[in-house]
This record gives sequence, C-alpha cells and structure tokens, in this order.
Amino acid sequence: MIRLDVDPAALSETDGQRQLRSVLRDLLGQYCGPVGVRAQVDSPRGFDQVLWNRLAREIGVHGLALPEEYGGAGYTYAELAVAQEELGRVLCPAPLLATVVLAGHALLVSGDQQACARWLPGIASGELTATVAGFLYPADVTAERGPGGWVLRGDADFVPGGEGADLLLVKARAPDGERLFACEPDGATCDRTARRVLDPTRRQALVRFRGARAEPVGEPGRAAEVVDAVLDAGRVALAAEHVGGSAHALDAVLAHVSRRTQFGRAIGSFQAVKHRLADLLVEIEGARSASAYASACLAAGASELPLAASAAAVVCTGAHRLATTEYVQLHGGIGFTWEHPAHLYLRRARADEALFGTGDDHRLRLAGLLGLAR
Amino acid sequence: MDGIPDPDEFRADARSWLKGAATARAAHREWGRGDDSVAVFENWTEAEERAHTDRTRDWERTRYDQGWGAIGWPPEYGGRELPAYYEQLYRAEEAAFDVPRRTEIFPVTRQLVAPAIRIWGTDEQRRRWLRPMLRTDELACQLFSETEAGSDLAAVRTRAVRDGDGWIVNGHKIWTSGARVATWGVAVCRTDPEAPRHAGITVLLVRMDAPGVTVRPIRQMTGGSSFNEVYLDDVFVPDSDRLGPVGEGWRVTLTVLAAERLDSGGLGLDNADRALDLARHLPRPLTGGEQQQAADLFARALVQRLIALRVTAALAAGREPGAEASVGKLHATATMRATTDLVQQLLGPSLAADTGEWGTFAWTEHLLGAPGYRIAGGSDEIQRNILAERVLGLPKEPKGAGR
Repeated sequence: MIRLDVDPAALSETDGQRQLRSVLRDLLGQYCGPVGVRAQVDSPRGFDQVLWNRLAREIGVHGLALPEEYGGAGYTYAELAVAQEELGRVLCPAPLLATVVLAGHALLVSGDQQACARWLPGIASGELTATVAGFLYPADVTAERGPGGWVLRGDADFVPGGEGADLLLVKARAPDGERLFACEPDGATCDRTARRVLDPTRRQALVRFRGARAEPVGEPGRAAEVVDAVLDAGRVALAAEHVGGSAHALDAVLAHVSRRTQFGRAIGSFQAVKHRLADLLVEIEGARSASAYASACLAAGASELPLAASAAAVVCTGAHRLATTEYVQLHGGIGFTWEHPAHLYLRRARADEALFGTGDDHRLRLAGLLGLAR
Repeated sequence: MDGIPDPDEFRADARSWLKGAATARAAHREWGRGDDSVAVFENWTEAEERAHTDRTRDWERTRYDQGWGAIGWPPEYGGRELPAYYEQLYRAEEAAFDVPRRTEIFPVTRQLVAPAIRIWGTDEQRRRWLRPMLRTDELACQLFSETEAGSDLAAVRTRAVRDGDGWIVNGHKIWTSGARVATWGVAVCRTDPEAPRHAGITVLLVRMDAPGVTVRPIRQMTGGSSFNEVYLDDVFVPDSDRLGPVGEGWRVTLTVLAAERLDSGGLGLDNADRALDLARHLPRPLTGGEQQQAADLFARALVQRLIALRVTAALAAGREPGAEASVGKLHATATMRATTDLVQQLLGPSLAADTGEWGTFAWTEHLLGAPGYRIAGGSDEIQRNILAERVLGLPKEPKGAGR
C-alpha cells in the first residue's frame, strides 16, 4: 500500500495560512458576494479586473507559489491552496486556476528559464492572464516553422478562460514530436469563440489557430511530462476549490435549516435533515483531509503526487457533488429559484467534473497507479 | 521545546530498540500462506482469550518497563511526557515487527480508562491504578450498557446504595468486551433515583473477582463470543474505588466515551488493505467496475488515515481536535462496509461456500463482524446526532418522557 510518510503538521494550517485565509475572506466578502459574482459574470471580461489586481498586488495571491526570481513570493502550493479554497467558496470568476496553476505551472515545469523570465513576472503581478490549450482534451494543433518563426494551425476546444487570455500555452504537434508553445494571440491569426457554458463563472472557448505566431517552450519531447504535471497541479488546486465550495454549501444550509420552521419546529431539528448534514460533514472533512494531503505532496514535489491528486479528485468531487445537491434540496423551493445562488454552485460542481475528469475517471486512473488494472 | 527528540531520531531509536526486543515481520507478507484471518471480533474460547491476553500482556510489560509503553505520560507514571504524536510514530515503527495483535481490552484500559482516572481520580487512585493499568498488570473493561440503556446510556438502572464506607451494587450490564480477562470493571451506576437522570449517576470501579460478579459470554452473529453480560449481585465496592464525585458520574462517563470515539479512527484499515491485496492477487483481471470499486476503497482508507493524522496534529499542537475527531468513527464503519462490498464482488461464490481455498471463506468473519461496529461504541445514528448537535450546532430532538 501507500507509505503515508507525512508529517501531520503538514496537514494542518500554519499561522500564516490562517492569516491569509482571513484576509482573503474579508476581501472576497466585500467584492465577491453573490450579487457581485453575477455582475462580474455579466461583464464583458467575465471577472472583476479591480479585484484581480488587488488579489495580485495587495495580497500577492498570484505569486504565492512562484519563485522570487520570477516576481513570486516563494511560498508553496499549500499557501496557494488556501487561496483556491477561499475563491471556490465564493465562486470567484477570476481566472486564477487557468492563469497561475495551469499556465504558470506549465512554464515552471517546462524548465525553460527564458520563457519563465519573460512571462512569469507578468503572471505574478496580475498583468497577464493566461491558460493552456490542448492539455485537457486532445486537440488538433500543428506547429510549423515559417520564414518568420514558428506558427500554429488547428483547433483546441474547451479552453478555460480561452476567450480573453493574453497568453496561451499550447500543446502542438511539431515535426519532431509534440511540443509546448507559447502564443500571444491576435485577432488576425487566431479566432476565439466563447462557448455557451453550464458554469458561467468559468468561461471556456474554442480556439482556432490560423497561422498564429508562437514560440517553443522547453526542450522537444517533454510535452507529455509537462502536461501530466500541470494536470495534477490543476487537480490539486481544483480539489481545494471544491473544499471551499462544499463548506460554503454546508454553512448556507445550516443557516437555513436553523431559521426555517415547519410543523412548528426548525426543520434542522428533524433527524431526517440532521443525519444528512452529519453525513455531509463526514464527506467534507474527508475532502479537506485529501485536499490538504495532495497540496502537501504538490508543495513538496513528492513522488506520491499522482496518487494523492487522483485520490483528492475522487473524494473532493464526490463531496462537492453531494454538498451542492443538498444545497438545493435542503433549501426547498427557494433553492430551485434563479435568484438563489445554490444553482451556481451546482453548475460549478458539475462543470468542474468535465475539467480534469469525473470521480469515476479518477478511480480508473488510481486503479492503474495501484497496479489493479491488469 | 526542551528534551523533545527530533521525530526522525525518535523513530530511529524506536526501531533500534524494537530490533532487539521483537522479530521483524517479513518485508512482504507472502500472499496465499500463513494466517488468513480477517476477523473483526475474535471467535475465541475463554482459554484462547486468556492465552492471547497473556501473550499480549508480556509484550506490553516489556515495552513499558523499557520506556516505550507510556510515551505520552509523565515520568511518575513510567512515561516520557512526549507529545501524543510520538505514540503514533512509535506505532508506525512497531507495525514492521511481529508483536501480538492487541485485543480491545488493551486500548480500553490504556486509552479510555487510564486517561479518565488521570482526570477524575484522587491522588491516591492515580498512584494505585495508573502504573498497573499502563503496564497492563490490571486490565479494565467498561460496565456501561444495559438491556434498557443502550443508545440512551443515561437510563442506566444498575443501583449502587451506600453501605458504611462503601457501596452495594446490584444490576445487569451487557455488551462488555474483555470481561473474562479484565481485573477491573468501570461501572456506571445510579446512586440517586430521585435526582434528574443525568445527575443521579456515579462511576465505581468494581473488582471483577469480587463476590457477586458473574460473567456470561454472549454468542454474537459471527458464531463466537467477544462480548459478555455481567451480573452484579450485592457486590460490595469500597468508597475508595469511586471515580469522581457522587452524582458526577455522567461527566466521568462522557470522558470515557469521548476517548472511545477518538480511538476508533483506525478501525477496519488492516482489512481494507487486505481486500486491496486480494484484488491485486485475483487470478483474473478486474472488470472496470471492480477497478473503480477497489480504487474507491483505497481512497476511503487513505482519507481515514489522513483524518487520524489531522487529529494527531491537533493534539500535538495542543489544540482540542474539532470535527475531524468526531467524523472518524462514521468514516471507519463505512470503510468496513465498503471492504465487505468489494470482497463480495471479487469472491462471488467462494464467499458463500467454503472451498477450502486460502483467504476466501475467511472473509465471512469480516462480513459478519463489521455490522457490530456500526452499533458498538455509539451507533452510527448516535454518531450522526453528535455531529449534528455538537459539531454543527443544530437544534436538539424534542425530549421524550423521562428526560
């Protein structure tokens, strides 16, 4: 079995992390409440640029897990996970996952110091938004060397935040095999179409490269390795978001069932309700544990990361599904209305399962990692 | 902090001591040979239970005498006063050695009863009881449940009546593990039938060899006997064996119950690992559904270990564990059920009929034992009430008659 050689202290919050959480909760409570989120979603960019800048510059969220030489703060993914959890709690539509975790990590693990020096400081300061294309779903993008350098052609779909990102990191087929490219898209050579989405707080786009200028990132032959590492980092960050979203759902339901009376009693005094919430708490505490472990593995660069990331995906996806389902159900009719935020959480939970895989996808991956698939 | 060894150093010390005191387990237990028992509750005769208890006790005494038995306790009780986390570090090392498997009476004595004595006992009681219990010279069982006081433990009817410098106890206790080998029983007694029910309770420590104590094994659904009924007929208990003030017994009882919940986080993990080994050694490829089921069990067991580590971390940091401690038992009983479900799927007919093949029909012991833990030590339903009311702060049930 897995040798669980982890210092228990790595699973509990440090004082610094607790402070970060409290600062973020205040800020997000002010600028990213349920009304604010809807306003952001309806805005052209889909998120609040002012909040984005404050997160990056005042609190330094973007640079938390980036090295100091590239404008980061040199902390670890364990700190970034705290931020993801708080952002997931309020469904913050800012593209932190795509920009910092997916694109930022892709640049870092590519080992390409020039590319890191060129783009990471912009990511850390919040000037740049970025994402990855062709990582999550197979895309049909080829790279060829033209007279003025490399150009990309072909389509990548379901690109998170792809419509507005300033920088795309693209996995493409080059003559010498699959390779990673960085592309700063322009309208003349790159069409980007926003998809209608289940979860309006996380936009997706179809990106069509029509001879878009791009620069290779990292050595040839390493694309698969980089993509695997980035997806695991994404799973870990998403697991933290799911812990936050689930915890919000539980809090909201607790407040409602304590207030709402029927049959002359608070509905939260009925065992049929209490026991379901107790079960939800068990799931959420499990999710919190799996997420903390996966973040610790990512922060430490541990070899258990793939196992930990998939286990966290299984557990946190399941908890989020349950929490958001109960969020709607235990609010009764009001929970089924457009105005109530519950459906936004349910949309997020279900749409996220398509991002890095459903719980069942991760069970199969785990089975493979555990030597159970023969 | 002064005098606290570095964890790695401590583990290395423990390892080197264990090398001299015990035999190392084979690095990889060979699949298909040796003991294939996965019993949740042992199916032993009294003689077998005694023999196993003696073997375990020998080992516990060795480690206590050599400074590895009461790691978290102060020196006056033979310990080293290290953070709780170090006991788990020691356990992690011990797991690599062939030492007797501790039956329930051992954690009940050392992890449930001894800490309650430390909190509630007089100086004289602590001097008299703690060292012998930590060394397991004395073993203590719980005389808690009664036929009419199960989940509603405060309904106990066992009576203790003042008699000179002691008490006369009459009653009938049930579901007591280890009563056949215990030397002491921690009895929850009603001393004031007129008082509101939680206020009329007092805890007494009863010598299990006192005149009037009769132990009768209960045969459980596994076919064996791990639990007992204990009859108390005019048993005399000196007042010096009363734990905590008269009428404060409910609070003493809660101390023990809280420790019991904290101690149940590791339940079922060995068998979950064993079921995954079974999946790995199955002579046919697993279907996709079976792979997912096995992976799910792996994730469950991993999470259960992580929850236990978070509890440890909270204790090590001097914090009272929160929700993570209370969810442990519910998580554990669900793991046991998931283990049964996977094994059922993998073994098919060889779980229903004994072909004599190693490691197959033996799983019926798990299948039949696992339901017991959903009832013992606070049923799943009571655990949910505790989570809902004490952790989530939801309103209490409207009280019925008798409250």
